[in-house]
Amino acid sequence: MVPSEVVIERPRRWDVPFGEAMRDEDVDQLLDLPPFCDMDPQAFPSALPLRDLLKNDTRINHYPEGSIVVREGDYGNSAFLVLRGNVEVIFSGLDPAILGRQKTDKRGFLRSLVSMWRSPDLPEVRKQIRSQRELVADDSSEVDDLTQTRVFLQDVPRVLGSSRTVSLKPGEVFGELAALTRTPRSATVVARGDAWLLEIRWQGLRDMMSRTPALRRHIEELYRENSLRVHLRETPLLAQLPTDVLEAVVAATKFETHGNFDWQANFEPAQRMIPEAIIAEPLIAEEGSACDGILLVRSGFARLSHHFGHGHRTIAYLGKGQVYGLAEAIQTARDGQPVMMGNSLRALGYVDLLRIPQAVLDQYVFPNFSREELAQVGTKYATYGIQDLPYDSAEDSSKIDTPLLEFLVERRLMNGIQAMVIDLNRCTRCDDCVRACAATHDNNPRFIREGQRHGPFMIAHACMHCIDPVCMIGCPTGAIGRETASGVVRINDLTCIGCSTCANSCPYNNIQMVEVRDTSGAIIVDQATQQPIHKATKCDLCADQVGGPACQRACPHDALVRMDLGNLGELSAWVNR
Amino acid sequence: MKSFASRRLRNSTLTIAAMAGVVTYAWWSHVRLGHPAFVTGYLLLGMLAFLAAYNIRKKLPIVSWTTSAGWLQVHIYTGLATAAVFATHINWRLPEGWLEGILAAIYTATFISGLVGLYWTRTVPVQLARVSEEFIYERIPALRNQVRKKSQQVVLETVRATGRDTLGNFYSSRLEGYLEKPRGWYYWLKPSSRLRKRLLAELTEVTRYLSVPEQQASEQLFALIRRRDDLDFQAAMQWRLKIWLFAHIGLTYPLLMLACLHGCLAHLFDGGLP
Repeated sequence: MVPSEVVIERPRRWDVPFGEAMRDEDVDQLLDLPPFCDMDPQAFPSALPLRDLLKNDTRINHYPEGSIVVREGDYGNSAFLVLRGNVEVIFSGLDPAILGRQKTDKRGFLRSLVSMWRSPDLPEVRKQIRSQRELVADDSSEVDDLTQTRVFLQDVPRVLGSSRTVSLKPGEVFGELAALTRTPRSATVVARGDAWLLEIRWQGLRDMMSRTPALRRHIEELYRENSLRVHLRETPLLAQLPTDVLEAVVAATKFETHGNFDWQANFEPAQRMIPEAIIAEPLIAEEGSACDGILLVRSGFARLSHHFGHGHRTIAYLGKGQVYGLAEAIQTARDGQPVMMGNSLRALGYVDLLRIPQAVLDQYVFPNFSREELAQVGTKYATYGIQDLPYDSAEDSSKIDTPLLEFLVERRLMNGIQAMVIDLNRCTRCDDCVRACAATHDNNPRFIREGQRHGPFMIAHACMHCIDPVCMIGCPTGAIGRETASGVVRINDLTCIGCSTCANSCPYNNIQMVEVRDTSGAIIVDQATQQPIHKATKCDLCADQVGGPACQRACPHDALVRMDLGNLGELSAWVNR
Repeated sequence: MKSFASRRLRNSTLTIAAMAGVVTYAWWSHVRLGHPAFVTGYLLLGMLAFLAAYNIRKKLPIVSWTTSAGWLQVHIYTGLATAAVFATHINWRLPEGWLEGILAAIYTATFISGLVGLYWTRTVPVQLARVSEEFIYERIPALRNQVRKKSQQVVLETVRATGRDTLGNFYSSRLEGYLEKPRGWYYWLKPSSRLRKRLLAELTEVTRYLSVPEQQASEQLFALIRRRDDLDFQAAMQWRLKIWLFAHIGLTYPLLMLACLHGCLAHLFDGGLP
C-alpha cells in the first residue's frame, strides 16, 4: 500500500546559502566597504534586511593567479565586486580549449536504459528530498555553481599576448551586464595574483539596486558603457574599423532602451487585444521620418512594420546583432540629403539599441568602405536584416507568409531558441514524442502536446529556452538558470522552493508546478501547513541525453522540430520543406 | 534542409535499384541451376526481422544513433522492397500448400496494412489539421460530456427564463440523442458531416419560431453542435490512425513466426538443416 503523506518543513529562500555560509564578521567588514557603507539599512524592509542579503546572496571567493573568474560566452547569474587583488578583463575571444570548456556529462546508452527500466510507476517521484535543514549534498549535473573546481589559464602573459585587456582594481564591479540582462558573458575575466571577489547573486543585486538609487545609477552607467563598447566591436560593419576610428564611433554612439524590461508582466493583456497591440508597442522610429543614422539591436526584439490599409503589417522582427535603417543611411550619404525611413520600428517587450548618428557614419564609418561594399552591405541589411541565413535572405524569408510572422510576433514566440514546432499536416497524433519525453524523465513528460496554432503549425507547450528567459526573473533561490556553455535553461530541483514565480513569469505557460512524492510514493507535504510541496518542472532539452531532445528524435513523421524562431531563414526552410 | 520530394526521389531510386538487383540475382542463379529461393528466403526473413525491429526502436527513445523518422524511412522502403523479394522467392506464382498459403496471405495482409497505413498517415493529419481546434484523443470523451452538459444547461436556463418550451422540445426530440450517444460504427469507418448539417439546418428552421432570448441560446447550440461534430471527427480519424497500427503490428508477429517455421521446414525437406 502506498503511504499517503511524508511531512517536512517547507523550503524557503535562503535555506541553501549561495556558497559557504558567510560569517557575521565577513558581513560586518562588507558593511564597512563601498558601496555597502553608502547604503541606508533603513531603506530595506524588515523581511529583507541588507545584512541578510549580504549573508545569503553573496559569497567571498578566492581566485589564485591565473584562475578564470568568468568565461566569455557563459551564462551567468551573478555580478562580482573586487575586494582584494586585481583581475584582468580580456575582450578578445580566447580559444575555448584554453578556457577549459568541458562537454556536459551525458548519459550513455546503458545508463539511460537502466534509468528507463527503473523509472518509478508513480509520477514525480524524487529520490532526494531536501527539507529546510538538509542542504544540497552533491549534484554536479545540476545548474552550474562556482564551487566547482576552478579553471586556470596557464602562462597568462603568453595567452594574453596582444589581446585587449582592462585591469580592475578593488571596489570595481563586473559581470553585472550578464547578470541583469540574462545574456552570455561578454568577456573573460582572469585573476592576476591572488584575488578575493565578492560574488553577488543577481536576485540580491536586484534587491539592493531597487533600494539604493546610487547603486542603481552606478550599475546602469557601467552597464551602458560596457554594453556599448562590447556590442560595437561585435558589429560586422564596425569590426574592420581602425581602433582610433572605432573609439570615435564609441564616443558618439548613444545607448537606448525601449519598452519594459519586465515585459512579461503585462504581456497577456496585450495578447488579448491583438489588433491594437502594435499601436501599444513603444515606437522607436517611424516610417516616413527622415533617416538620422542607424540602430543596432543589442538585446531584445523589435518589430519592423509597414503601413497597410488602416493598420500595420509586420515585415520582420529584428533581434540581437541586426540593424535598422542601414540602407537608408547609405542612400542618405550617397544622395547628400536625408532619405525617408521605409518601415517603422517598435519595441517588442523591451529592446536595447545603439544609435549611431548619420553624421558619425558619414565622417568615420562610410569612408572606410568602397561604393560596391556599401551597396552589398546595404542590400544584406535592407528591410529584413536577417543574418546567418544559409542562402540569400530576402527572397527565401519572404516565403514565410505575413500572418505567420504576425502570429510569431504577437505572441512573442520569436523569443524561443528551442521552440517545439509541430507540423499538424504531418503529425499523426501518435504521442511518440510525449512517450519519449516521459521515458527520458522518469516517466514524467515535460511538455504538453497542445499549444498555440497558426494554420497547420503548432507551438507546443514546451520550454523554448528563450533568448530572454523572463522565467529567471524573481526566482528567490536562483534554482532556475542557464546551463554553462549550452544555454539550456534548467531548474535545480533541490533548490527549487516551489514558489511558482518562474511558472507565473513564463508568458508561454511552459513551466508546470507539480506535487512531488518520495520513493515510497507518498505525497510530500509541508510540516507547518500540511499542504503539498510543489516543484517547478519543464523541458530540459534532454541535456543529459547523448542524442539531444528525445521528442524530436522520436517523431516518426518529421512533424516535430526544436527550432530557433528568431531565425527566419531556418523557419522558412522548414516550412517550405 | 532537404525537401521531402528530393528525399522521396533518392529513396525510391535506391529501392528500385535494390529490387532490380535481387530480381537479377534470382534470374542469374536460376539459369545456372542454383537455388535462389534459399537466398531470397533468408533475405526476406532478415528484412521482416528488421521491419519488426522498428517497434523496438520506438520503445527505446534513448537510442541516440538514429532518429525514429530516419528509421521509418528505411522501414517504408524496405517494406516496399519486400514485395519484389517475396515475389521472387515464390517465383512469381501463387503458393501451394496450407502453410505457404497462410504465410503468403499474412504477408500480403501485413504489406497491404502497411500501404494503407502509409496512405492514412499522409492524408488523415491534413484532415485533422483543418479542424480549428486540436484535441487529445484520450480527452475527447470528457470534452463530449462537457458539450452535452453545456447544451443542456443552455436549454434549461432559456426555458426557465422565457417560460417557452419550443427550444426545449427541439432539444429533447433532435439534439439530446445526438449529444448523448456515441456515433454509430459506420461513422467511425467513414466520418461525414451530414448529420451535423442536417441538425444545423433543422435548428435554423426552428429559429424563426424563437423569441430573442431563445435565439441567443440557439446561437450557442449552433456552436456546441459544431464542436461535438469536431470532437467526433477527431475521435474517428485519430482512432483510425491508431487501429491500423495495431493491426499492422498484430500481423507482424504471426508472420515472423510462420516464416521461421516455413524456413525450418524448407531446410528439412531439402535434406536437413546444415
